[in-house]
Amino acid sequence: MLLSIGLSIGAPLMAEVDLSGEWQDKYFEDWPERLPGPDIGDYIALPLTAAARTKADSWESSVQTLPERQCIPHPNPYSLRGPADLHIWPVPDPVTARPMAWIMYGTFGRATHTVWMDGRPHPSKYAPHTFEGFTTGVWEGDMLTTYTTHIKMGYLRRNGVPTSDEATVTEHWVRHGDILTVTTVVEDPIYLTEPLVRSSNWLLDPHLQRFSTPCEPVVEVPRKPGDVPHYLPGTNPFLNEVSKTYHLPLEAVRGGAETMYPEYRKKLKEQYVPPAKCVRYCCGWINLLGPDAVTGKLNCDGSEAKAP
Amino acid sequence: MNQAHAIKPRCLLAACAAISLAHAQSPPSPKAAAPMDLTGYWVSVVAEDWRWRMVTPAKGDYVSIPINLAAEKFADAWDPAKDEAAGEQCRSYGAPASMRVPERIHITWQDDRTLKVETDAGQQTRLFHFGDWKAPAGPPTWQGDSIAQWETARAGTAGAENEAGHRFGDLKVVTTHLRPGYLRKNGVPYSAQTILTEYWDISTERYLSGSHKNEQWLTITTIVHDPMYLQQDWITSLNFKKQPDGSKWDPEPCSSRW
Repeated sequence: MLLSIGLSIGAPLMAEVDLSGEWQDKYFEDWPERLPGPDIGDYIALPLTAAARTKADSWESSVQTLPERQCIPHPNPYSLRGPADLHIWPVPDPVTARPMAWIMYGTFGRATHTVWMDGRPHPSKYAPHTFEGFTTGVWEGDMLTTYTTHIKMGYLRRNGVPTSDEATVTEHWVRHGDILTVTTVVEDPIYLTEPLVRSSNWLLDPHLQRFSTPCEPVVEVPRKPGDVPHYLPGTNPFLNEVSKTYHLPLEAVRGGAETMYPEYRKKLKEQYVPPAKCVRYCCGWINLLGPDAVTGKLNCDGSEAKAP
Repeated sequence: MNQAHAIKPRCLLAACAAISLAHAQSPPSPKAAAPMDLTGYWVSVVAEDWRWRMVTPAKGDYVSIPINLAAEKFADAWDPAKDEAAGEQCRSYGAPASMRVPERIHITWQDDRTLKVETDAGQQTRLFHFGDWKAPAGPPTWQGDSIAQWETARAGTAGAENEAGHRFGDLKVVTTHLRPGYLRKNGVPYSAQTILTEYWDISTERYLSGSHKNEQWLTITTIVHDPMYLQQDWITSLNFKKQPDGSKWDPEPCSSRW
């Protein structure tokens, strides 16, 4: 017994940081896409393959009303980019009391990240896939690096941009004081031509109310059995709307790795004339939500706008 | 030989010993103590806020930034021609915005205590001063005065060091004394009271496959605190990919329109 106590005390401490707590998602980048939702055909800043575009073009928003799809949670490659106030806690090892797993709860639809820290291997490639996937983690200094496999086919943006069941996700979790930054690296050999790297931010907020997203499917739209809303290739009438609204070349709206690098600005410079004034989602951020913010009835600080 | 000359060598020896001891005990320079190698060329990969970074957004497009009414009124009066005429075309290249510009950056050590970050877009230079550097007197500048420090994992803990035995860590930079400029090209302002805090973290992508395996990425978490124009701190983060060389370095001057 003395020996085991001695071993426990003598074991090296891990260079880990306490990530536990209530974290408020900050939507200070890409607010329109992340909260109200993306426009149909908006593939901007995604390194998509032609197959991904073809599949996304066929997406019809009413497909979400199918009972079997109503309760699909945000899949792992997207979930931290969508609305996700996080509640994080460790699961202690019963012997060492060190975290054997971290639970990242709060993503939409409860596809909760469980990050296994105990060195267990990833399952066989034939193991079932889930929307949250299977995640292991390791500390690299004060950075928690996680790796997720076994993710179900899902989407990368809430307008039908797909991810395949071969997608994997690496995340780097870094806490700087009361700010949490997660860099997400999505690799998908089917639908991405290169890894998609983005980062999102949360602010520690001990008063944050936990938000659950239970779901029970109902019949929202009566349909014949087997009907699945979709557009056949070449028939989606909404694919030009983003281009028209923001005066962007359609090529840019369709995404692609080339469009994400500084050189592409030179191409845009020849083609782009900004709209005369902002017409939608001009003032949004986390404390300014709802239709009044969108229609211009409110100033950007939330005060009531005077009629011109 | 007089007595004064006779004792000089002994004094020199003592001084040398004292200096040697001081050197032995003095901490390594910030350059030598760096927990990560930031030097080299990096390219911004614009996977976020593309519509507000890759092109100049429409007048009145302030989405995602927690501005107050004073900022809204200021930005509503944005006039790039006026900025050009006033020689203020670098307003959207100040430190709170300069890393958001699609660009390449080149990082070098100017000396053992000063890290230099140059941008090709807008041709700006940021200097990160370590230690007890004191800012010289003078008017505020686009890049302000930046104080830097390494933040390293706790020594002696498992996982604190990489395979080469170097301790992991990040760079914290606090910048003040800023010349007022724009957070966004379309005139969203920041004031001279702004305090910019940044955390620079590097990750090595060992789980990626093929040619992407072991790519290095830089994430800069940025907190803009401006009591004059923001209702709360504007927190964002940016991603840069390490480049093998500077062959795509393409300097261009500031532009108030593009």
